[in-house]
Amino acid sequence: METDALALSLTYQFGTNAAFLFLAALGLIVILGMMNIINLAHGELMMMGAYVATITHNQLGLPFPLAVIVSFFAVAVFGAILELLIVRRFYGRELGALVVTWGISLILGQGTLLVFGPFMPAIKIPGGSYSYGGFSYSAYWLILIAISIALIAGLYWLYRYTNYGLQARATMQNAEMAKALGVPTNRVYLLTFSLGAGLAGLSGALLAPTSTIAPFMGQQFVAPAFITVVVGGAANVISGAVGSSVLLSAIKTPIGMAYGAFLGTVALLIASLIIIRIMPDGISAAIQKLMDRRRTRKTK
Amino acid sequence: MTSKILHLIGGDADIGTSKTFWIGFVIAVILFALYPTQVSEFRASNVSYYLLNIPLALGMALLWGYCGVLSFGHVAYFGIAGYTYGIIAGNMAGNSFGPIAGVLGGLLASALVAGIFAYFVFYSRVREWIIPILTLVLTLLLETFLGQTAGYQWRVGSVLLGGYNGMTGIPAFQIGSFVFMGYSFYYFCMVIVLACYVGLRMLLNSKFGQVVTAIREDPLRTEIFGYDIRARQWLVFVLSALLAAISGLLYVQWGNYITPSQVGLLSAALPVIWAAVGGRTSLLAVLIATIVLNWVTFTLSSQGNQYAMVIIGAALVITMLFFPRGIVIMLAEWIGKVTNRKNSGAAT
Repeated sequence: METDALALSLTYQFGTNAAFLFLAALGLIVILGMMNIINLAHGELMMMGAYVATITHNQLGLPFPLAVIVSFFAVAVFGAILELLIVRRFYGRELGALVVTWGISLILGQGTLLVFGPFMPAIKIPGGSYSYGGFSYSAYWLILIAISIALIAGLYWLYRYTNYGLQARATMQNAEMAKALGVPTNRVYLLTFSLGAGLAGLSGALLAPTSTIAPFMGQQFVAPAFITVVVGGAANVISGAVGSSVLLSAIKTPIGMAYGAFLGTVALLIASLIIIRIMPDGISAAIQKLMDRRRTRKTK
Repeated sequence: MTSKILHLIGGDADIGTSKTFWIGFVIAVILFALYPTQVSEFRASNVSYYLLNIPLALGMALLWGYCGVLSFGHVAYFGIAGYTYGIIAGNMAGNSFGPIAGVLGGLLASALVAGIFAYFVFYSRVREWIIPILTLVLTLLLETFLGQTAGYQWRVGSVLLGGYNGMTGIPAFQIGSFVFMGYSFYYFCMVIVLACYVGLRMLLNSKFGQVVTAIREDPLRTEIFGYDIRARQWLVFVLSALLAAISGLLYVQWGNYITPSQVGLLSAALPVIWAAVGGRTSLLAVLIATIVLNWVTFTLSSQGNQYAMVIIGAALVITMLFFPRGIVIMLAEWIGKVTNRKNSGAAT
């Protein structure tokens, strides 16, 4: 009974950690996988999503699920504008893109502070909590785990079965060849950046009830999101995001439970250094290699 | 021998190789040396602050501009050196060797962390974009760690780490019984900045420097020529971390305090901005931009202007969009073109 409860609690912690890492990194990895651009304004886009959700939910009285959807579209539109005005000029210049998106993040963070002040009233966590064997479980985090799984399925469908997904995968593999075959790569890039930004806004809105709403709240997502992306790599968006958040959660959960949240995050950084020492291109590239090898063996 | 050294200093690894340039350079150094005689100790101390940031900025230029490796987290080494100095010198308060031991300890601690970190990233041959991200994560974690060190249990010897309020009462630098403060600290900074600049120029004009620049241009080709690029990137990274550490040491000796926000996101942005706005491929351009931008931020924020960070961020975006090679470099090239035209006009 005791061990049952502990095992269940560990599973739950593992699930919430994985869902958190996955949500924090998703928008970033979508943009990285496609365009080789790290969007350093990612944390601020999540912050924007949280602000949109808070304002529409608390002040306009929209139900929370609807507020989350509004956040997705609002930040996606903002992302599209950013792409058209600024990011577009930096394709092929990875470090330049990093620096310019950092400038954007400074402006967004400080600008939000000036416009909305240092604090916003938080959103109440929807749903209650359950307890079993001395451990308590938040219903909202269980919903977030479910939403993460739904997002994985949704992205898989998007990349596998839609016209956009086909063009996106073609552009990812070989942008020049795709262009020569008539894929409007510029539009694919615009849509992808907008999708990545929108997903950042969606994650920000979903995680808003679990954190304080402040102009620099994005910073708390930056470290875990970037570690997840570095470990995941850019070879395949879905396997990168899922593989990496599951693996890192498996590292973070026991250490975080035993030694506290901060050392859990430190363990993430150390683990990521060791993982890239073994697989420099991340988990997604390692998985890809493994699958390729298996495929060639089969054809023999 | 002397001609060889002069050749190393005057080589073309940096802008400014003509005789006119060096005359101007000497005049500028003399003007900086005369400045404290004309102003109050307070004003001189403010300018010391602009000067003490220069080694950090030069380290960014070395790493990003010349070696092609971008770090968003060099303030981590700034902070590690500052805190280590505070701990060692604070515990040896009263002992005149304390500050020197603190300086050595600070440099060593920064080099150690940078060395371990750089081993993992360079010897893994990670992609270009991974290094800036991991450096940023490292410095953010350092900030989080230092931020939660409030309270009496977080002390080393007799020095409190102090959480978000930071470490206070850090001793000034001294050699023997001479304490560097006010005017003397200004000259101390000036000598160090000059030594860093000239030393880096010599390094970059040497064969080592040429290989480093070659790594930036084409890592694969450089490696096929038989150079171990990983070892060189590692060395350059540690060297630039040491430069950041020098700035950190000067900072705590200047203000006698340090807070975790010195290794936070906003502080981490500054060196990158100085290097980008000035023009990262020139030491001198970065040096000039560091002084000017520090002066601008200092003036804006001392007037209580809340837009300082927005303006700095906008300066970064505008530079990257319209002056990708840096504003100071483009100005310098424009001046060079104008004077050349005049010279050739006079010749014909």
